[in-house]
Amino acid sequence: MRDAYVVGAGQSAFGSFPDESYRSLFRTAVEAAVESVPNGFALADVEEAYLGTLGVGGRQLGLPGPACTEHVGLDGTPVTRVENACAASGYALRQAVMAVRAGMADVALAGGVEVMTDLSDEAVRYWLGVSGETEWERLSGTTFAGVYAQMASAHMREYGTTAEQLSAVAVKNHDNAAHNPKAHLDFTCTLEEATEAPAVAEPLTLYHCCPTTDGAAAALVVSEDVVEEYTDAPVRVAGVGAAADRVGLFQRDTYTAIPASRRAAETAYDAAGLDPAALDFAEVHDCFAVAELLAYEDLGFCDRGAAGDYVESGATRPEGDLPVNTSGGLKAKGHPIGATGAGQVVEAYDQLTGRAGDRQLDDPVVGLTHNVGGSGGAAVVHVLERADRREGPA
Amino acid sequence: MTRGIRAAGAYAPASRVPAAAFEDAWGRFDAPGVESTAVPDADEDALTMAVEAARRALSAADAAGSDLASVAFATTTPPLAEEDLTPRLGSYLDAPDDATTRMYGGHTRAGVDALLDALDRNGPALVVAADCPVGEPDDRREHAAGAGAAAFLVGADAPATVEASASVSAPRPGTRFRRAGSTALEGLDVGTYGREAFVEPVEAAVDALEGVHADGDDGRRGSGGVTYDAAAVQAPDGKRPYRTGLDAEAVAAVETVSELGDTAAASVPLGLARAFEAGHERTVAVAWGSGAGVTAALVTGSAPVETSLSADRTLDYPAYLRRRGDVVGTSPDGGAAHVPVPTWRRSLEQRHRHVAGRCPECGHVAFPPAGACPDCAALVAFRPVEPARTGTVEAATTIGRGGAPPEFADQQAKQGAFGVAIVTFDAGEGAVSLPIQVVGEAEVADRVRAVPRRIYVEEGVPRYGLKAVPVGQ
Repeated sequence: MRDAYVVGAGQSAFGSFPDESYRSLFRTAVEAAVESVPNGFALADVEEAYLGTLGVGGRQLGLPGPACTEHVGLDGTPVTRVENACAASGYALRQAVMAVRAGMADVALAGGVEVMTDLSDEAVRYWLGVSGETEWERLSGTTFAGVYAQMASAHMREYGTTAEQLSAVAVKNHDNAAHNPKAHLDFTCTLEEATEAPAVAEPLTLYHCCPTTDGAAAALVVSEDVVEEYTDAPVRVAGVGAAADRVGLFQRDTYTAIPASRRAAETAYDAAGLDPAALDFAEVHDCFAVAELLAYEDLGFCDRGAAGDYVESGATRPEGDLPVNTSGGLKAKGHPIGATGAGQVVEAYDQLTGRAGDRQLDDPVVGLTHNVGGSGGAAVVHVLERADRREGPA
Repeated sequence: MTRGIRAAGAYAPASRVPAAAFEDAWGRFDAPGVESTAVPDADEDALTMAVEAARRALSAADAAGSDLASVAFATTTPPLAEEDLTPRLGSYLDAPDDATTRMYGGHTRAGVDALLDALDRNGPALVVAADCPVGEPDDRREHAAGAGAAAFLVGADAPATVEASASVSAPRPGTRFRRAGSTALEGLDVGTYGREAFVEPVEAAVDALEGVHADGDDGRRGSGGVTYDAAAVQAPDGKRPYRTGLDAEAVAAVETVSELGDTAAASVPLGLARAFEAGHERTVAVAWGSGAGVTAALVTGSAPVETSLSADRTLDYPAYLRRRGDVVGTSPDGGAAHVPVPTWRRSLEQRHRHVAGRCPECGHVAFPPAGACPDCAALVAFRPVEPARTGTVEAATTIGRGGAPPEFADQQAKQGAFGVAIVTFDAGEGAVSLPIQVVGEAEVADRVRAVPRRIYVEEGVPRYGLKAVPVGQ
């Protein structure tokens, strides 16, 4: 099996952009990705494309892939829409890696786009509920905030996790976003502000929830056969893992974990031949503060039930042992549903190639991205590494 | 084997608005004798209240819905102006598909009419009357408007029987009516005419009872010669029943209007249930319907009763207006979770009774009972198992204003925040966990009970299911 490499990644700013369309945002992301390739990149080289999008608002629900690629001049290149709710473009990247590894393409594009802020509040709430289990879970009266709040309630009950520990996630990620010029919420907050903000769905406050965001992101994936044409500092896709689970939380065996995340991570770690201790940083799916705590446990960063203490220890701050969500995460960088997974790859690529500006970590070697669809019905994990920086045999 | 009333059940919503709230708002209160009225929750209506009362009647008789040979439902306030609601009522109760079903409505004596008709049927017959009348905010009928339901299981070997009945009618239009297409009751309030339209047929019907029955002096004597110790009389307000010649003490003994308000077709059935609760042995039941007509019956003996008529919260007037929808805007156009009616219909056993499925391969209990077994992954035909109605909260949150999907925005505007929980219910030898809306709030480990409520309305069709109330409510 051939290796696949990320040779470029870029994104639009994440935020609210009434003057942009989903296609103009996609163009910005693709241009940024092309610009990020060290030795230059011609879009015409792309042989296969994958686009993650939910289609919030109902825009171009059919054929959004060609609608985006034609806009950047990729007429005729096969493109496939990937829809796995909030994990859409994480899965788009996985598809691109599969195409390259399988030998069907030497160069593939994986991107995602979403526009969410041009809808009425009620319409947004409709769309935020379409990826939960719609016949029973949603009709109990909840959107995702409610489902993650239920997980938080169970985690707090079982492990003694506190509201302040949820807030510690928000404080950290806002601090990080303040250093990210592409972040939607680029301001800081205090523990007190986060804890005492109005409740969205108890115990989650406004600061424990990600915003709805417009944005696009794209990554360029190439085979080992051509990687040297594009870069001298290749980012290898060392491991990929993905897993599905029951769509409704009530149908799962546990409410205090996301089993699909755990299974996806195990697969990715096995493929990469490493364990969580080898990671230098991670971009995890923190649509709600509790989701980041669950990710710590599901991805093996800490013991089950210990995530609250783990975040309070500072381990996941930029100066800690395992910086998490240096971009600001979904929480503060923003969560344009279909673009989120690809956006995580942009941060990982920037960190691994020294492009992360004020957020730059000290020569990281291995990073992880973790993208979840719905409340855990789908999860995908990528382990990315600078093989040239890795000690010993790759 | 004497056919009669084997058991009764009664239900009223838990919220009350006191008369003083109207006085504060309007400077007056136009429903004499009413101290408070029962106010349905935003997701309650005549059908959900009927299920509540019916469940209690069946429980009081230690009977099952599957035993029923007939189901009758009386209401003047059906949630749909046209559509038979008895199939859904029967579905909630697990009544057989071939049970005889009848709906009664159009006037407030419908509940007692349904009860008397059930005496002439064969087999176990369930009769339910439920009502929640509405008027314009400044109208006396709205000041009186209450809510409640009563149900009777009619059958053989009954401890309470109808010894005599009578019906009279007299054309008296205009005293109480609702125009086609309107939800609000009206009346012309023509003083003497209006009083006589009520009192004269009531007294005539009681007199007619005398014609078929007159005995003894061991009880009270009303305008006729009938003896009784309780009088369940139609109560459009708390004053009119006492204008009849019926014994005031006997009326007061079982009235519900002072606490629940005008419960329309359920008014006399509720009084009868209360008479059973108090152990009265001779109760005269007199139901009046505008137009006007009266059905009267003398009930002897007393049947077991299970009631839930107490209040647990008091609304102020603004909260009452919210609940009624009087100060709530039109529903936002955000789109609802679209579950096509045929798809919804396929899940009615789950919606109405939480029917789960036991895997014949591994014994796991699945909800909903469809697709592969969640435990062993076998593609099986699940065996139905009906979970307990009381369960334990495993995970919970509260959805505040603005956090609900659009299809719940109207309910939330009227009622405020609601809980959303995952609740585990025992089911056979296993248990099932379900997502369920909580009326009010609940926390992990709380005990809750599944109750019938309207889930939402889509494409004009009310969709009914089960929600949860904390045990004790």
